[in-house]
Amino acid sequence: MIILYFLLIVFCLIHCGHSQKDEVICGLASSWLESVVLSVNIEKKGFHRELLYEVKHDPTPHVIKTLLIQRLPSGVYMDQYQLASLKEDTGLEVLLDSSVNLEDPAYVSPGFSALVYLRPAERVLQAAVPIHGRYHRPSNSGGWEKVTIEGPKLLLRPEKYETKTLPADLPHRVVKAPCTVRNQSLCSWLEIQTSLVSDSVSLKLPVGNLSLAGPVCAGTVLATLLCCALLFRSVWKHGIF
Amino acid sequence: MALTAERFIFRLLNFWVLHSLALVIRLFLVGYGIYQDKTMVVKYTDIDYHVFTDAARFVTQGESPYNRSTYRYTPLLAWILVPNIYVTPHFGKLLFVTCDVLSGVLLYRILSLQGLSSNAAGCFSAVWLLNPLPIGVSTRGSAEAVLSLLVLSTLLCLELKRRFMAAFFYALSVHMKIYPVTYALPIALYISSRGSLEGKGRSLFRILRGLFNKNVVMFAAVAGVVFLALTIAFYYMYGWDFLHETYLYHLTRRDIRHNFSPYFYMMYLSVESEWSLVLGLVSFLPQLLLLLLTSVAFYADLPFCCFLNTAIFVSFNKVCTSQYFLWYLCLLPLVLPRLRLSIKQGAGLLLLWFIGQGLWLMPAYYLEFEGHNTFVYIWLAGLLFLFINSFVMVQIISHYTPRTFHQTKKTE
Repeated sequence: MIILYFLLIVFCLIHCGHSQKDEVICGLASSWLESVVLSVNIEKKGFHRELLYEVKHDPTPHVIKTLLIQRLPSGVYMDQYQLASLKEDTGLEVLLDSSVNLEDPAYVSPGFSALVYLRPAERVLQAAVPIHGRYHRPSNSGGWEKVTIEGPKLLLRPEKYETKTLPADLPHRVVKAPCTVRNQSLCSWLEIQTSLVSDSVSLKLPVGNLSLAGPVCAGTVLATLLCCALLFRSVWKHGIF
Repeated sequence: MALTAERFIFRLLNFWVLHSLALVIRLFLVGYGIYQDKTMVVKYTDIDYHVFTDAARFVTQGESPYNRSTYRYTPLLAWILVPNIYVTPHFGKLLFVTCDVLSGVLLYRILSLQGLSSNAAGCFSAVWLLNPLPIGVSTRGSAEAVLSLLVLSTLLCLELKRRFMAAFFYALSVHMKIYPVTYALPIALYISSRGSLEGKGRSLFRILRGLFNKNVVMFAAVAGVVFLALTIAFYYMYGWDFLHETYLYHLTRRDIRHNFSPYFYMMYLSVESEWSLVLGLVSFLPQLLLLLLTSVAFYADLPFCCFLNTAIFVSFNKVCTSQYFLWYLCLLPLVLPRLRLSIKQGAGLLLLWFIGQGLWLMPAYYLEFEGHNTFVYIWLAGLLFLFINSFVMVQIISHYTPRTFHQTKKTE
């Protein structure tokens, strides 16, 4: 798979509603926008999880494209190859803003952003995106490390041109982001800030217990030396010298 | 009734029947894999197979196979799998399955050369050909069978005294995976003592002098040239990436994620400490010491020596995954005929080995899929697994009658 590099999202803080030329994204009524609700949940346990996104909205005559921009911290990663195979199998559309190392521990990994394109649907749009936990630095008492994933940004884009304008007081802004997974030229999207985005989700990953370092090292070295001695004795006894 | 069963088994062990059956089972599973991949969430095909295919695609586009992250093999493999892109995506699996069955053919040949009847040779090679582990691994698209084929080719050529070919296959196998490098000393000692055998005492001095024997130097030169030629050619084509991913990564690998190695938790807890280097060195010593000793002790029975060296290398390695077990499993059929263990004892050892794996897999599952903090249990299970492996090896060593040079000469 070609590594997907694409331009960083350009924020262009343009207010709609005045003599705005970019009318593409100004075709949504504010009352409808208020009906849009986004929820994020985390499913499964352990190191292999799933982020479940759900966007609900009132019925609309327009075809609305929906994009979630998810910032991910260094403690977790998405596997671009797994995403590619899911795209084939289930049609899940996710772009990553950089190539992601699949093996590094959390403390040497940078975070990254994922762009999750939700397929247009009548009322409820859903996507389940697999994420994986990275190994973390062992802590002094072991236990678990909490990784917090901030809620995503929700971007919308009506399929067709609409000339209606939005009330100027609605807080929203126009953002540039890749149009679709296939066509990565930049389109204008409307970032929705009124939606009820859940704050954040979190997961806990087991970490090693540093206070056991002494006994673990001593135990390991002793056990391996003992096994080595057992084998040595046996080879010495039965070997042909 | 008993007679018909016996006749049935007798027929089964016939060379052609056995190998055709082995091939048919594998082809059926390749077909089943296609079906499962298409219809089920849990895929049959190994993730590595997709890595190979992606790397082959890069090669067809004139790019480096190392553009595919986690591709840590020779570019040769990506090249061989180019038909995956142009012909059928299942080409690689068919190739691995063929190598797998050909390994069985070589086992049969080596066993026959060692003087076994065709029935007995069939019986022991069936341990590989009808074994669910290699069948599963090759039909899921893992490339281990290519390596077992190369290693067995090396051993067969040495048995046939075709040192030139042996050196070529040996260089190829080290190029593909580094672990056969542990066979270098026993092979050298084997060739040297076969060339000029007076059959007298084998002092250390004599052994060392033997290493400069004409045949050994020839073998080393051919193997060295082939290995270096491959290395230089691929370095020229793919640069540092090739050296790093194919060789250095495996040499310096410090995987802190849980694996079968007894050293895993120690490595994880000490990876950032100043002791890391010392501990890395300490953990290298038992491996080195045992490899040297078994090489000198058993080189006359080369297959047995390679089997032990691989088992020691895998058991005492800093990283160990279940694929590694296949490295010595392909040599097991060559060891079994001279193993004086009753069926009961053998089954007991096998059961013990499986229990060791099971006891490791349980806490590993709870860590990975349930999020329980089971690091300590995984560590203890890793140590227990090392004990079990060592115990099994000790049992094998003490119940094995190694071939000596007298016997080797007689069978020639």
